[in-house]
Amino acid sequence: MRSTQNVVKAEKQPETGHFSDPPLFVLASLANGPKHGHAMIEDIAHLCGTRLGPGTLYGAITRLEQQGWIEPLPPEERRRPYRITPKGLRALRSKLTTLLQFSKAGLRRLEA
Amino acid sequence: MNPRLARLLMRLYPRAWRERYGEEFEALLLAGRGGLRTSANVVRSALSEHAFPTQGAEMHPVTFVAITRQPSAFLPMAMSLIALALVLGNVGSDLIQNGHILREADEGTTAHLWQLLMVGQLPVLAFFAIKWLPRAPGQTLKVLALQAGAVLANLAVVFFSGVG
Repeated sequence: MRSTQNVVKAEKQPETGHFSDPPLFVLASLANGPKHGHAMIEDIAHLCGTRLGPGTLYGAITRLEQQGWIEPLPPEERRRPYRITPKGLRALRSKLTTLLQFSKAGLRRLEA
Repeated sequence: MNPRLARLLMRLYPRAWRERYGEEFEALLLAGRGGLRTSANVVRSALSEHAFPTQGAEMHPVTFVAITRQPSAFLPMAMSLIALALVLGNVGSDLIQNGHILREADEGTTAHLWQLLMVGQLPVLAFFAIKWLPRAPGQTLKVLALQAGAVLANLAVVFFSGVG
C-alpha cells in the first residue's frame, strides 16, 4: 500500500525524490572551472535542480578539501573560489561512471 | 541576509572552523536571500560540525598560539604555575620569618592545595592530548612539553627545598 502511494505520488510530482549527494554536486560544479560558494549554489541548481543550503554546501566543501579533492584559491575580496584537484577529477569520474552503470542497470530493469 | 543574522549564524560554528571558513561563509550568507529554511540549514550544519568536527591539519591550520588558547591547554599550565607559586611563596615566607625552610610534621593546607592542583590537572592533560594529538601532533607535543616542564619545575622545587 505504501509503495503504491509513493509511485502515484512520484508520477504526479516527478520533481520529488531528488538525488542528493552534495559532495558529488560540488565536484561536478567545479569540473568546468573554479567557483566560489554562491556561484556553486547557482550552478548546482541549474545542473540538477537542487539548491543546496549554505551549511550543506560548506559541509561538503570542508570534507572535500580534507580529502584533497578540491583546493582553495586566493580569496577575491571576502569570497574564496575553489578548484577541483587531479585527485578530485579521478574521484568524480569514478563516481559518475558508477552512477552511469547503476542508472543503465536500473533503466534496463524498468524496460524488462 | 541581514548582516547581524549572518554574523550570528556564522558564530554557531566551532572556533577552528570559523578561523578557516568564517569570512567566506559569512560573505556567502550575506549574498543569499536568508529566510527560515536557510537559517535552519546553517544551524543544523553548525551542530553537525560540533558533533563531528572536520579533522586534519589542512582543514584546521592549528598554530601554536591558537592551540594554547584552548582551555584544556592553558588550564593545566595555570594549575602548575599556581602550584609553583604556592610552594615558592611558602619557601619565601619561611625564609623571611625563620631564616630557613621549616619542614612541617603534618601536611599543611599549602601541601594539600599543591597536591590537588597537580593531580587535578591530569584528567585535563589527558583530554587535551586525546583531543589534539590526532589533529595537530607537532603543536600538541610542544604544549605537552611545556606542561611537562611546568610539572618538573614543581617537583624540582619541592625536592630541593625539602618542603615535600
